[in-house]
Amino acid sequence: MTMPATPITVVIVDDHAIFRSGLKADLDRDILILAEAATVEEAIAAVTHHQPDVVLLDVHLPGGRGQGGREVIAGCTSLLAGTKFLALSVSDSAEDVVSVIRSGARGYVTKSISGAEISDAVRRVAGGDAVFSPRLAGFVLDAFGTAEVAVEDELDKLSARELEVMRLIARGYSYKEVAKALFISIKTVESHVSAVLRKLQLSSRHELTRWAADRRLL
Amino acid sequence: MSVKMYRTQARVVAGVCGGLAVHLGWNVRMVRGIMIGASFFFGAGIVFYGWLWLLVPLEGDAPEQGGRLLDADGNPRLALFRPAPEAFEKDNSGNSNPARKPVPLGFREVAIGGALVIAAFIIFGQQQGWDLRLGTLIPLLVIVLGAVLAWMQLDDTRRVGLLSATKMNTPIAMLRLGGGLALVITGLLVIVAGSGSWTLLWSSVVASLAVLAGVGLVLAPWALKFWSEFQSERAGHIKESARAEIAAHLHDSVLQTLALIQKSAHSPTDVTRLARAQERELREWIYQDSTHKSGALVERIKSVCAEAEDIYGQAVEVVAVGDTELTERGNALVQAVREAVLNGVRHGGTAVSVYVEATAKGVDVFVKDRGAGFDVRTVAADRLGVRESVVGRMQRNGGTAEIISSVEGTEVRLHLPYEATATEEAK
Repeated sequence: MTMPATPITVVIVDDHAIFRSGLKADLDRDILILAEAATVEEAIAAVTHHQPDVVLLDVHLPGGRGQGGREVIAGCTSLLAGTKFLALSVSDSAEDVVSVIRSGARGYVTKSISGAEISDAVRRVAGGDAVFSPRLAGFVLDAFGTAEVAVEDELDKLSARELEVMRLIARGYSYKEVAKALFISIKTVESHVSAVLRKLQLSSRHELTRWAADRRLL
Repeated sequence: MSVKMYRTQARVVAGVCGGLAVHLGWNVRMVRGIMIGASFFFGAGIVFYGWLWLLVPLEGDAPEQGGRLLDADGNPRLALFRPAPEAFEKDNSGNSNPARKPVPLGFREVAIGGALVIAAFIIFGQQQGWDLRLGTLIPLLVIVLGAVLAWMQLDDTRRVGLLSATKMNTPIAMLRLGGGLALVITGLLVIVAGSGSWTLLWSSVVASLAVLAGVGLVLAPWALKFWSEFQSERAGHIKESARAEIAAHLHDSVLQTLALIQKSAHSPTDVTRLARAQERELREWIYQDSTHKSGALVERIKSVCAEAEDIYGQAVEVVAVGDTELTERGNALVQAVREAVLNGVRHGGTAVSVYVEATAKGVDVFVKDRGAGFDVRTVAADRLGVRESVVGRMQRNGGTAEIISSVEGTEVRLHLPYEATATEEAK
């Protein structure tokens, strides 16, 4: 197996040793695992020390003040420019997903995802793009609303194109299929998804903030 | 910045400033400075300090220990996901940053310093010609000092536990209690005796009330302590019963399924099916959101998808946006979805994605599989599945069905407009 010139470096953060070893076996060979961590403190130390390209971050972690993955991202804010966080969870509750995204994660995938898919997601995140699972796209549509509404702040609404992209992702389309269905390039799909991610992180849209406040995320 | 505030163990008086500094992410010296500065504005700093002292739990106190059984969102963690107790101990020791160890500053030095500051303040005030009424001020200070002495006891007892606290077996503890009581009573007596203009009766009533209040002030920490002990005891009971419930549930469901999986280890399909069914059931149980009010439609669609999953052992992922009440036409939609999903898992033979979007205009459902696909026109006339159960059923109920199939998979698109819009169109 030939290694590319610069393999993508990864730190795996998960409190289940079995899952970590499974993930290590599943990841493609061009992805280099630098370290593993099982708690919030270990994770912050490992990420700060190794400064990997991507951190595969479990949402639920022991240690710290009980905030799990959110706390790890908060503890590594100074590294966010170089290190991307990809949230990974068995949980499909909206609270977990949106809170970790709003803390600064670049994407979210469920743990049932296949090895090829997760390697792909790691590469995508390392390349600066966002990774949305169908479920995350569903949450976005739920939080931003599917109808066209007039709002003052551009951040608070999705453009018609972004809505279309989110809908297709929610319907289970891959980025490639979305590109084909909308007659645009994959790069354009990626930039739409990144724009949505930015809005999801920064928007103060009142539905979103109220929605988050209801769930004590703020 | 941390979400929940705790008073720090690395404390000078009660750990309020340290805790506040951690909570706000400020420098602890700055917080102390602000607190002391604010004290000169009608004692605002002192009042605020006392208030936080009363209401903010000490770091590593009982409530936090309980909180560890809960996950980030306050849901009970399953025992599976809870790390061993040793891990916590390790975390705690790792947590206490050696750089922030308590400054070895004796209470005596603090008291002397504080007294000097206050004395300087009083002298300064007198030089400025303020009417400070030392006769009131000094007893008041004595009361405050007595109360502080008594209340400092509280944190010590919290640490060593209730039993040794009530035994009061250390001379220092006795001294503190006695000293606190004596100071408070003396202070109150001085105040009462100083007001000679009152009638004897009146003053004796006030005196006895004042003494009672002083005793109450000193004993309040114990009352509070008992109350919080009682509360945490009760919380412990609730947690224990919650755990028992979780254990019972895990036994009934997960352990049984695991046994079944071991038995059918030879058949990957069976294993997948059992695991999926168990996962779905467990998820439903863990993430059931009692506050979230949902209409019945999405629930129904989820249950028919679960049924398909059980029959064919293929994953059916349902993503839903919005929800609506289940009407008769909605029921027809659910049946059409069921047929489409069954077709997907049966003929597609892959995982199926279902997307439901309920908007103000109507309900859209998309069912997508990644199977080999088929040519819709070549479906034999006697194959009722697609033609009748999906397309026909949707049309009869005023909706539309569209089937797009290619070698990369098949997608069934169902649309059902709402009754109101449908009747308007009819007019």
